[in-house]
Amino acid sequence: MAFKFKKQIFGFMDLLRFKKLVPNRRAAFDAASAKPLPKTYKVNETAKILHPGNQKAKLVDVRLETADTKTYTFELSKKMFFRAGQYVEVTANVDGSVVNRPYAISSSPLTALREGKLSVTVKKAGFFSNWLFDNAKVGDEMIIGDPSGQFYYESIKDAETVVAVAGGSGITPFYSMAQALKEGSEEFNLILLYGARTEKDLVFKKELDALVSDKFKVVYVLSDEKSKKYENGFITKELIAKYAPGDFTVMACGPQAMYAFLDKELAAMGVTGKRVKKEANCVGPRDVKAAEYTLTVHIRDNVYKVKADSRETVLVAMERAGLKVPSKCRAGGCGFCHSKLVSGKFSIAGADKRRLADLKFGYIHPCCSYPDSDMEIIVPAGLE
Amino acid sequence: MKKYDAVVIGAGNGGLVAAIRLLQGGAKTLLVEKHNIPGGFATSFKRGRFEFEASLHELNDFGTKDNAGDVRDLFDALGVTDKIEWLQIPEAYRVISREEKIDATMPFGIKAFIDKMEQYVPGSRKSMQKFFDLAEEVRAAQAYSNSVNGNTDQKVMLSQYGNFVRCGSYSVNEVLDAIKMPKKAKDILNAYWCYLGAHCDDLSFLHYSSMVIRYITRGAAMPKSRSHEISLAMVERIRELGGDVWFNTEAVKIKTGADGGVEGVVLKNGEEIQTRHVIANCSPHIVYGKMMDKVDERIVKETNARKFAGRGFSMFLGLNKSADELGITNHNYFLYDTMDTAKQYDLMKTIESNEVQATVCLNRAYPECSPEGTTMMYFTTLYMSDDWANVKPEDYFKVKDYVANKMIDRFEQDTGCKIRDSIEEISVATPMTYARYCGHPEGGIYGYESQYWDGLMPRLLMMAEDHKTRGLRFAGGFSMRLSGYSSAYFSGDITGRQTVGDIKREG
Repeated sequence: MAFKFKKQIFGFMDLLRFKKLVPNRRAAFDAASAKPLPKTYKVNETAKILHPGNQKAKLVDVRLETADTKTYTFELSKKMFFRAGQYVEVTANVDGSVVNRPYAISSSPLTALREGKLSVTVKKAGFFSNWLFDNAKVGDEMIIGDPSGQFYYESIKDAETVVAVAGGSGITPFYSMAQALKEGSEEFNLILLYGARTEKDLVFKKELDALVSDKFKVVYVLSDEKSKKYENGFITKELIAKYAPGDFTVMACGPQAMYAFLDKELAAMGVTGKRVKKEANCVGPRDVKAAEYTLTVHIRDNVYKVKADSRETVLVAMERAGLKVPSKCRAGGCGFCHSKLVSGKFSIAGADKRRLADLKFGYIHPCCSYPDSDMEIIVPAGLE
Repeated sequence: MKKYDAVVIGAGNGGLVAAIRLLQGGAKTLLVEKHNIPGGFATSFKRGRFEFEASLHELNDFGTKDNAGDVRDLFDALGVTDKIEWLQIPEAYRVISREEKIDATMPFGIKAFIDKMEQYVPGSRKSMQKFFDLAEEVRAAQAYSNSVNGNTDQKVMLSQYGNFVRCGSYSVNEVLDAIKMPKKAKDILNAYWCYLGAHCDDLSFLHYSSMVIRYITRGAAMPKSRSHEISLAMVERIRELGGDVWFNTEAVKIKTGADGGVEGVVLKNGEEIQTRHVIANCSPHIVYGKMMDKVDERIVKETNARKFAGRGFSMFLGLNKSADELGITNHNYFLYDTMDTAKQYDLMKTIESNEVQATVCLNRAYPECSPEGTTMMYFTTLYMSDDWANVKPEDYFKVKDYVANKMIDRFEQDTGCKIRDSIEEISVATPMTYARYCGHPEGGIYGYESQYWDGLMPRLLMMAEDHKTRGLRFAGGFSMRLSGYSSAYFSGDITGRQTVGDIKREG
């Protein structure tokens, strides 16, 4: 060593000080309180309100909105707060198997926080929504998941005005937003272009009309019915320009066909990239020749062999077999079903939304993967 | 009942390494993780066309094949180095501090670092050389200590590592003053302090200097596919070695027997796993406060004595312009109000007064990390008090935006780069996010603070004494090596090997 470090006049004093490190720490321990350790912390408790996890919830109201759409209101067992536009996973016991689907929340954030109530509005469109429509009744107990998704207003990147394009049951998140604007849990200008087939198909018309303010406008657009009270046809660039001058962010929620049409209209207006947000739709069956494969599924130390239909996703195959496996967005994006592929071939519905390292180490998202052969996968445990 | 030689609770950086070490030592091992993916904070997430790194700014002490750091040596021993594609960070850091009007960009390499410092601070060369000499001795002493598993011979320490012992009880500033480092050089050199989360009047010189010298001599590394790549590589290694990894599996209780030692682990679904050895990759506050029924009063006192270190806040931006177009020239920025670190530490106590940020532009290390014509950035700060506890749920989203806006403004003001209008994706993590994700008290991300009395050296010296419950050891940021990626990996290495020893002794 080129030099000798010395802090005090005599080097041995530096050494003595070093020797005291251990007694010092012991003394700090001696002096500490013996009161019981906290069971929890304020920040962690607030985190539980923002992310309560799966919770039991009692169905307290079922309301028929239109001929094929109902609103289901739950009494939560845990407090919750969320961003208007988010969805929750609803889980119920259907004929002995556990079934779940993500649904956009149709009630307001403060209703959940202050009254402990949360609603989803669901149109009959498939297995679970049909079951809900025909069977769910007041008093039923179901499971409500975490508020999820990024389909909400982001003040830092979005324009001050949002043009919402809703198609059919895609109205749900925007109804939550309109209520949030009124109660003050969200702050932006919302111009809602709400497309439906006929006047009878408009959900929440009365409620939306009552929420109109300087921050919220609603325009109804009917495709299959001519009426002077409403705009008619599709939501075109001309219609958007008519109601939304200046800079705006587009948030769209509706069927794929609506997105395909809207994309072209928006591109023609030069509204693209960060100015357009679309809520993802659940992955459905694919149109291929039917074939049956075997899935070997590892969950913890259990191994299951289940049948898979080439037309349905790996997730659906596992659910049909009654396995408890994780799922949330059912659109390939949230990664909640992230599973390790041991062997086998698969195809992904739409864009591959996996992380880079997932590709490298062979992980898949079963909710958007169709089997192309027998497969063996390691899946995290589901709801328990 | 299922039976394992050892159960590791938590697949964070410490837990992953511990599990590999246990398996290499022949122990039948189960790793349980409450989340659906491994890594804890070492992960990534996607927003639109961006895949963001969740927490790793740069991996210290990794080095290259020819200039291997201790982390690389560890990863080699674990058998994971080659499963990961690595890239090198181009420069050490750029520090901008308002009060002193400092704007300095520092390179890797001791000679280059000292030369650059001499340019910024003429006359600093001699003290900088002394700093690196001391730091080198600290590193050598630590290597010696590791080679004898902490059972150091006092004679060897005094004869060969005398400076280590003589400077070992002092804070960063006490030592830098003793070697007469000019104030401005100290200010520039202390820029990394926020990576350790304690101010330089409190932070041990040993701890700081051993970190700095590793950065400066070995550079810093990054896995190409973000830290998620490291975490998945470790899981793959655990499975190769025959270990079991269960995700979405929360351990809720550690059962103890008549001797007070570990007898099993209870999972959230009620299932009980029989084991005599647990490595907890989480905080003693949670383990002793919630997961064990009977805890000795001495342990309660010791746990109460500890101070929570910084609570995390991070903002992730995906920008729709290239770094060149935005004028972002550096990989790693530290933006401070002042280089008086004690004063800065105090300013970091409240949401209102904290404007510090450590900011990374990954494209400056790895241009292809995001699509052409885009840039990915992440901004991090720490809160040195529990101020987020004062945020009510109904105000939470607004407070989040308030801090994010301040961070954007500050970056624009201090660097002159305009980024706000190019934000295509934004995601923000607060202490609530960290509390939820890893369960740490108050949303801390730095374990227990490296206070003077509870710094690296006293913790290492008391490792054996701190081990009080048979069969229970800790890994991760709350344990003996303190926080940070490298430290957490080392903690898993130490604790994993110690547990292998425990198992062997039991026969």
